[in-house]
Amino acid sequence: MRMKPLEAAKHELCVAVMLTHIQSFLLFAAVISVAFGFLGRRRPKDRIKYILWSFLLFLLVGIGIGWAMYPFSH
Amino acid sequence: MREEHNDASPLQPPTQVEAVPPSTRENGASEARALGIAFAGWILPGLGHALQRMWGRAVVVFLCVGILVLVGATMRGNLFTSNGSDAFDSLGYVADIGSGSFYFLGRSVERNGADVSHAGGDYGTRFLATAGVLNLLAALHAYEAARGRKA
Repeated sequence: MRMKPLEAAKHELCVAVMLTHIQSFLLFAAVISVAFGFLGRRRPKDRIKYILWSFLLFLLVGIGIGWAMYPFSH
Repeated sequence: MREEHNDASPLQPPTQVEAVPPSTRENGASEARALGIAFAGWILPGLGHALQRMWGRAVVVFLCVGILVLVGATMRGNLFTSNGSDAFDSLGYVADIGSGSFYFLGRSVERNGADVSHAGGDYGTRFLATAGVLNLLAALHAYEAARGRKA
């Protein structure tokens, strides 16, 4: 039985996205850094600098917290 | 001898004093406009900035909130409802409804319901909550910009 176009579109959207921990972490850091950069700074150069710094700090803090929790997992 | 014109002459009728000074009325109008912009930004992510012709910010907020909601919902994260059983559920609902109309987009995408039995579903829940909180932050930013504060 053929699906109606709207149902077909919904069915396609229903495909589950499975991201690994590191992929989710990178996506989260990138999206939030871009949003903060645009909301927090006005000039393009300042925005780029802010986005890169924010992204780097997200990575550092995330990996740092991961390593800090590592001993408790054993 | 020429008589000087004097506004404060006792012969002239006194001008009426307005009950509300114009500056107060303007402040009230701009405050109402700012609240309207914040509300619009909450309902549709990015609209608050778009109404103030901040196109770059509008597009970025729309895309960031949209990506977070879509990824969170397709990872089968938990979209809380208003009839939560405990305080954490209610807090989750407040965070989720922060994404405005995108909350309902998430619900329509997540037709099979949440599945937090695996890590992906749990990450999805965080993505959805972050989308809502980010949109609330953007709406607050639009409100401050509309009030003329540095933004």
